[in-house]
Amino acid sequence: MIKTSNLTKKYGDFTALNNLNIEIKEGEILCLLGANGAGKSTTINLLLNFITPTSGTAYINGLDVVKNPKKTKPYLTYIPENLMLYPTLTAIENLDYFLGIGGKSFSKTELKDFLEEAGLQQEAFDKRVQFFSKGMRQKVGIALAIAKGAKVLLLDEPTSGLDPKSSNEFGELLKRMKQAKVAILMATHDIFRAKEIGTHIGIMKQGVLMHHFSNDEITLQDLEKVYLETMTLNNEAI
Amino acid sequence: MFRYNFKYELKSLLRSRWLLLLSLILLVVVLFAGYNGKEKVSERIQELEKVVLEANDKDAAMVKVLDSLERGLQVSVSPRMMPNMPMNVAYNYPRVAAIPAEPLTFIATGQSDLFTHFIKPSAYGDSFTLDYSELANPIQLLFGSFDLSFVIIYILPLIIIAFSYNILSEEKEYGSLKLLASQPISIYQWILQKTALRFFWLTLITLVVITITLLLFGFDFSANFFQFFQLLSLVFAYILFWFTIVLLVNLVVNNSAKNAVSLLAIWVFVILIIPAVVGQLANSFYPIPSRTKMITEVRELKEELSSKQDKILDNFLRDHPEYASKEGNGNYSFWHKYIASQELVEEELKPLINSYEDQLTKQQDWVRLWQYSSPAILMQQSFNNLAHTSTSHYQSYRNQVALFSKEWRNFFKPLLYGNKNFTSNDYQKIPSFTYEPPTNSSILLKVVVLLIFSVIFIFIGKQVFVKKIKKGTIIS
Repeated sequence: MIKTSNLTKKYGDFTALNNLNIEIKEGEILCLLGANGAGKSTTINLLLNFITPTSGTAYINGLDVVKNPKKTKPYLTYIPENLMLYPTLTAIENLDYFLGIGGKSFSKTELKDFLEEAGLQQEAFDKRVQFFSKGMRQKVGIALAIAKGAKVLLLDEPTSGLDPKSSNEFGELLKRMKQAKVAILMATHDIFRAKEIGTHIGIMKQGVLMHHFSNDEITLQDLEKVYLETMTLNNEAI
Repeated sequence: MFRYNFKYELKSLLRSRWLLLLSLILLVVVLFAGYNGKEKVSERIQELEKVVLEANDKDAAMVKVLDSLERGLQVSVSPRMMPNMPMNVAYNYPRVAAIPAEPLTFIATGQSDLFTHFIKPSAYGDSFTLDYSELANPIQLLFGSFDLSFVIIYILPLIIIAFSYNILSEEKEYGSLKLLASQPISIYQWILQKTALRFFWLTLITLVVITITLLLFGFDFSANFFQFFQLLSLVFAYILFWFTIVLLVNLVVNNSAKNAVSLLAIWVFVILIIPAVVGQLANSFYPIPSRTKMITEVRELKEELSSKQDKILDNFLRDHPEYASKEGNGNYSFWHKYIASQELVEEELKPLINSYEDQLTKQQDWVRLWQYSSPAILMQQSFNNLAHTSTSHYQSYRNQVALFSKEWRNFFKPLLYGNKNFTSNDYQKIPSFTYEPPTNSSILLKVVVLLIFSVIFIFIGKQVFVKKIKKGTIIS
């Protein structure tokens, strides 16, 4: 579903991402850990074709994202750290709008079903999102993914700033998406959450994927240890 | 995509009360400007009606006296007013030479607050060819009139800027642009549609408000449909011009604060600086001769000629033997000498007056040449043309009055030199003044020019967008 091949992004002399090779299959969640500037968001931006790679290729559902941006985007949903919806529109209207401009039309009942499936309280469906918490907005994002029938979910630090309950709810939603065979790439700082929901975990530093584990092959303690060791590594050692 | 953009853009605008606020502001401002313009025009029409009525009354009295005289009755009229003396009529009963108000005059004051709109050229004096200044409020002259053209040219772009300066940057800064860009859509098409929708709503509101204003102030749509169409086309093209500027700035700058500053700078440059520079250069390259100096020179020349009036009369009679008294060296009056000297005075004054007219024409040609450098000049010229208050309209009016005054004098010349009485029959043939407006330069051509500018800006915008998308600076 998601694949990158020697994906590299440079800004002049600065290398934001260096030869990234990852593959995420249906029903897999890769959690990318790393400090700010490690290249996690750059990876997601490249997969979304918001920026073009200096070299290498990114694939979504087997299609090159640079060559086929309009063909790859129907398969994916992106949820940024702060999912900003249109404040004067309600949850249903926002969902209708984002689906509609992409060419998908649903009835109001169907839209309500999607929001319900994403765990949004019924009384919030017709409320303007300017009154929504971050967790509620993220749920609208998940409803968008459900409605689109997305095969790929790209999440950029979606749980940062969420209270533990909302963060836990969001984790549960991702697990359900995983069961629905969605390939998920999540950039996060939260080691605990990564270990809890990821099928795979990667640790990035300065644009390089330093480690890549299957969830089964590492404990939370070891993961924390490797993460801290990686973060304290000298630049020259990378 | 368009259906959803249309539906939800309208919902957002209505819920944020932008459309309501905009409609109210425009309605109030346009109505006030229309009222202002209409007041001025009404004043002008009333004044003109009063003058024409006075002249008609005077004529009616004159005809009565003429009739009595022709029937051999005694009349008690002062010798200076006796209408059977041709020069008394030529001097005391002038026609009203007016530049009438047109149906759209109230939309643009133009030159109408600098020049008079009627004059009564009599047989005596030639200052009417020059003396057109009226007392006008200097503050108003300094800041211009608050008429419909002012609102559209100066205020409407500010409303457009306030309405759309952050059309793209807001999405980027707020964070919704990334969510939009992750959908299978073209962001360029999306921003183009969003700008087009705002353009559509603002244009619709503006045109409706203008139509309501015209309706309220008694504009006859069926009789003047083409002028109405020209006015709406101009406003449409001008709004489009500013929206494409806004689109371009959004794509090039893409930061709300910087967008606002850049757009205001463009407004100042396009609306204030370019017209001021073009006007200043016109004055520097083709300065109009001093009016005071001209009047002094005219007086000096007249004084010089008046000392030689006998000689001038001799020369005149030699050139026009048909006017010579059949009784030899008869009694030539003041009028004989005066009218005889007028040809010479005109001849002598021609270079002086022409220099004034030439410079004015050159100034107009200069402005015409540079009108495309600023849509403000283009629009002001077009509005003044539609309103019949442009410099060329007043210049044409002045020339027509000068010709008419000559025609007026010439009508009485044979009667004066033939020592004939002015009769009721002559009254029937008396010349009258009808103002013929000059042919307007095509307003639709100016609309096309504004549309071409808009297309160019959209094209540049597309190039900038493609470049920035490649760099990744539009979305991230």
